[in-house]
Amino acid sequence: MKKFLLSVLLSVPFWVLGQGFQVNLQGQKQIGMAGAGSALALDEASIFFNPGAVSFLEKNSISAGVNPLLFKSVFQQNGSNISENVKNKIAPPFEAYAVWGPKSNKWKLGLGVYTPFGGLVDWGNDWSGKYALTSLNLKAIYIQPTLSVKITDRIGIGAGFVYNHGEVNLQRALPVNFPDGRSGHATLEGTGKGFGWNAGIYINTLSNITFAVVHRSKVITKLDDGDAMFDVPASLEPSFPDGNKFTAELPLPSTTTLGVGIPLSKSTTLAFDASWVQWRVYEELAFDYAVNTPALADTKSARNYRDGSSFKLGVNHKASEKLALRAGVGYALTPVQDGFVTPEAPDANRYILSAGAGYSFTSKFEVNASFFFEDVQSRKQKNIETGLDGTFKTLVYAPGISLTYKW
Amino acid sequence: MVGEIYMKRYIINSLAIAAMFFAAACKPEIESTAATTAGQANFSKYISIGNSLTAGFADGGLYLEGQKVAYPNLIAAKMATVGGGSFTSPFFTDAQANGSGYLSLTALVNGTPTLTPVTTNLALRDATGKLTKFSGEVQNLGVPGMRLDLAFAAPFGAANPYLERLLTDAQVGTVSYFQFIQGRNHTFFSLWLGNNDALGYATNGGVTTDATNVLTDKSTFALLYSNLINLLTTNGQKGVVATIPDVTSIPYFNTVTVAALLNAAKAINPAAGAVYIQTGAGTVRAATAEDLIRLPFQSSGLFGVPNAAGLPYGLHPLNPIANNWVLDKDEVARVKDYVLSYNSTIKSLAESKSLAIADTYSYLNQVKTGIVIQGVSINSSFITGGAFSLDGVHLTPRGNAVIANVFIDAINNKYGSNIPVVDVSQYRGVKFPN
Repeated sequence: MKKFLLSVLLSVPFWVLGQGFQVNLQGQKQIGMAGAGSALALDEASIFFNPGAVSFLEKNSISAGVNPLLFKSVFQQNGSNISENVKNKIAPPFEAYAVWGPKSNKWKLGLGVYTPFGGLVDWGNDWSGKYALTSLNLKAIYIQPTLSVKITDRIGIGAGFVYNHGEVNLQRALPVNFPDGRSGHATLEGTGKGFGWNAGIYINTLSNITFAVVHRSKVITKLDDGDAMFDVPASLEPSFPDGNKFTAELPLPSTTTLGVGIPLSKSTTLAFDASWVQWRVYEELAFDYAVNTPALADTKSARNYRDGSSFKLGVNHKASEKLALRAGVGYALTPVQDGFVTPEAPDANRYILSAGAGYSFTSKFEVNASFFFEDVQSRKQKNIETGLDGTFKTLVYAPGISLTYKW
Repeated sequence: MVGEIYMKRYIINSLAIAAMFFAAACKPEIESTAATTAGQANFSKYISIGNSLTAGFADGGLYLEGQKVAYPNLIAAKMATVGGGSFTSPFFTDAQANGSGYLSLTALVNGTPTLTPVTTNLALRDATGKLTKFSGEVQNLGVPGMRLDLAFAAPFGAANPYLERLLTDAQVGTVSYFQFIQGRNHTFFSLWLGNNDALGYATNGGVTTDATNVLTDKSTFALLYSNLINLLTTNGQKGVVATIPDVTSIPYFNTVTVAALLNAAKAINPAAGAVYIQTGAGTVRAATAEDLIRLPFQSSGLFGVPNAAGLPYGLHPLNPIANNWVLDKDEVARVKDYVLSYNSTIKSLAESKSLAIADTYSYLNQVKTGIVIQGVSINSSFITGGAFSLDGVHLTPRGNAVIANVFIDAINNKYGSNIPVVDVSQYRGVKFPN
């Protein structure tokens, strides 16, 4: 008789990525300056910010830092009086750098390990948007060996190869109910890899105003053999076979940054970065399941991101021989168009505020700390695909600390 | 040295302050758009008038879980934030939670469902099907099986077990539904009645055998509906009325299609050429996609069974599917025409009294083609569509939540109130067996 096609149950695909997944936490000093600093040869974090500036670092160094990040988002369904908050979960963006080169030589080698993209959002299993998403845990760890060369006394170039190790765990409720009334649940989990590069040029003009042009390439991260797990009533298991696999592609966008560094005095430097993030690579998201059933079709859905951009202004002030103080402000334009805002990246234009301090205990040992705050504007949206209709508002808090050893 | 210690302290203190700030990290807040208000309406005493849909009937029965999520109960819970008072319903007790009994989905094999009646913890008073009486205040006045015409017939109180259980012994057979709902001092009402005036005829395959499956005359409908509205607005009360869904928008008539029957027949006998039906006009002909076959035909065990002459049921002109299983093309057109007439009556009477109109007719037509709400696809497919329960006519808890929001939107738009919407994601669709 009649077959009951369940494809509707999964016709709403998973959503991934957004400006919200760009993590602007790659060096404590720069974080304290709102993420500006591509035109400053501040420290070994230049491996990320501008490989061209690495050759201008005076010392060899090694550093490691972490920025526990709290992503606090709230949702209110259109017409509802109930506000729903994400759970307090702390994501651990980290960065580690090493720079080495023979003294008074023109080149330096560097190695950077950092997390430029990631997201940790857990709305819980019982919120009003659970059928769109319950939680996302996304990590992209970039490993970047780098070579930087001083072409002249005032110009440095550098480039690094990027290997990305990506991890994703995406979960949502399925609108099928068990005998006890609870909903089904889907988990997609996988790791992937991708490749890219990071190159920059650093120019120190005669007036000591510095300039930077940096391009980090896109990194298409391929997830092969990911696990697609479905917790559904037994009578639906034939439609959601055990041990299913999926493949997907996560396009992490390229970024082009123009930076300026302006020394205001012997002890105070301004840094300004303008970045253009080429999110338009994110045209669609496709999940290809190894085993398809009438209920479980491959999904392909339009994203139609536009490019995003950000503007960051920071100041670095040496209060004394040992103490440096920093502050920064910034603004970022979202790549997510109206109708495409999702609970894992409830994205909107955002303000950035930051502060930081560094202290050199000895000439070799240095501690830097920062506090980074983002105010993501409230955005009332009805998602075209999921019908999720309501207002998102997000605040991001990230304190951080790093230790540096120089020689 | 002193400075250095000071600086260390400074850094440590700064970190401590940052950590505290982090721990206490201020939650983001969404500025509420408007203060909560009842607008021009007064929700302090809400009553709901209607039939099985209003009562929370689902899965072919009235039982406690369904009663609790009946759309008026969901609306009333949300009204509480804008001046709504308590809302009482004739709930079955926990010990008799399964009420009249209902169908549960016990197996789903290759897409074919097995529906099994739940027969424990019933609220049966005797072997004739009478239900345990409920006395006391009732605001959800939905009575399964209630029709607009029979709302004015006192004897129906004896025939309908759902009304009978609400009446005192003295009232049974002497008090009509119209009389029963009076004198309740309501300040606000919802009215979704009249569905069965068309559906009773349709779900009997367009065959009228008694008062519950007659197609109510259009002008009678207008007169009685007017009486009802006049009663409910006697003291100028505000309210919301709902239109009557197209009968073809429900799974009851869209699941066992002629094409599906023919495919099933061909799987056994590739030579099967057509499904034959007996129409309301008495003729026998090959069925087309425009003829609608009732959902229970699927489990009736009739199809393809040979008669004494060896002719398979429904597959031979001399052994057609009986008239009462089929709402044939002409009957469909007739029912649609009546529903349109009823709805035009409902709308014009509502407008004349400045009442809100929940246009469930239009809304369920959208559901028929499919909608997505808060990440959930909802359509009028049987079992998987999520909105309709296992009887193919009545709503699941999720369907009730969706319909409650149709009412809430209509009320808010009409009266400038802001009753919060119901969170559809909190309500289930069909329960699938393990």
